[in-house]
Amino acid sequence: MIETFQMVWNSQDLGTKTIEHLEMFFWALLFSILFGILIGILIYKKKQLADIVFQVLNIIELIPTLALLILLLPLLGLGSGPTIAACILYSLLPIARNTYTGLVTVNTQYLQAAQGIGLSSKEILLNIRIPYALPHIIGGIRIAIVFTMGVVTLGGVIAAGGLGQSIQTGLQFNRPDIIIVSSIWVGILAVLFDFFAGVVERTLTRRNHLG
Amino acid sequence: MVDYLELLVFDPLPEHLMLVFGSLLISLLLALPLAILCLKNKHLKTLIIGFANLIQAIPSFAVLALVVPLLGIGFTPALFAIILRMMLPIIKNTYIGLTTIDTKTLEYAKGLGLTDRQILFQIRFPNAYPAFFSGVKFAAVLANSLAILSAIIGAGGFGVNVFKYIHQYNIQSLIYSIIPVILIAVGLEITLILLEKKLTPVPLQKS
Repeated sequence: MIETFQMVWNSQDLGTKTIEHLEMFFWALLFSILFGILIGILIYKKKQLADIVFQVLNIIELIPTLALLILLLPLLGLGSGPTIAACILYSLLPIARNTYTGLVTVNTQYLQAAQGIGLSSKEILLNIRIPYALPHIIGGIRIAIVFTMGVVTLGGVIAAGGLGQSIQTGLQFNRPDIIIVSSIWVGILAVLFDFFAGVVERTLTRRNHLG
Repeated sequence: MVDYLELLVFDPLPEHLMLVFGSLLISLLLALPLAILCLKNKHLKTLIIGFANLIQAIPSFAVLALVVPLLGIGFTPALFAIILRMMLPIIKNTYIGLTTIDTKTLEYAKGLGLTDRQILFQIRFPNAYPAFFSGVKFAAVLANSLAILSAIIGAGGFGVNVFKYIHQYNIQSLIYSIIPVILIAVGLEITLILLEKKLTPVPLQKS
């Protein structure tokens, strides 16, 4: 079994593909977090926008992954461009929604205390609301991690490289060994990332409840 | 134009709908009893919910591909992969819906002399609708998404044209081939929202 694994790993150059895969994953996640949190804060400041923004993001969520990749082709061509863009589009909803929920559900006691000691609303946002929203935000990022892993893997079918490409090679040439090794490897990576995000989420939640 | 409709819409439609509705139906038939079993048996609950979380993290493409060495290619293996992938959000959400119920409501129900069975079907289930339906909506959208992808393992449907035109890099035909799938996704979501509204008893409806 280890022999098969090594053979596939070398013949498909899975080391390089893993690096490609993770590179797309990290860029996509970075931009998702940045834009997601910004949108969350924006709709917290302008609440009348919340409904429309969530509705638009919800509609994006309905589009099948392959269809979204294709819709992006005329704009971004084949490869990692549309893949990363699709990851970001899908990840905006969970991160923005959780950021917004986190910001509006802060315990009123803390807010009153902060107002009592004369903090401005900007200081309250930065020092009270955002730290307390953090576990929620991480929860959203955790969902985004799962989405992003899924989309990056599918990017293999539109020539984005990464581990999805070797899964596709396996399917095309009907090679069970390549299919099994690549799929299981990508599955292990996905489960590990989800696990670590879960640990961070729980740690932050616990800290908030103590503090 | 007629040829286009024939080739890009009407030909792949039956297989696509069979994949989506077939997997939705079978997943519901399997998921609901399992969610109820989770309610009765804590060990089973830990096992099923743990497994659900694990599978949900694995990319759909990997799940779809892994079915091939086990079951081969074609419609049935694709159906199996889709069911595997969509059953778990339904089980998890149904379980959450059934358990996050006000304890007072349960006590009142017991006080009125309702049996366990009556409590399950007349109290717990209606209360679980919001969570249950959000699970079903998620699963339906997922099934639609996987149904187009499953052409890569020979299941037919809209994906056949998509993969053909990707190779030819024929953007116009690609866009035509995916529009029906996006419309089906929107249709599924709207139908399920309306169904939820219709089923939810008036006192439980959000104004």
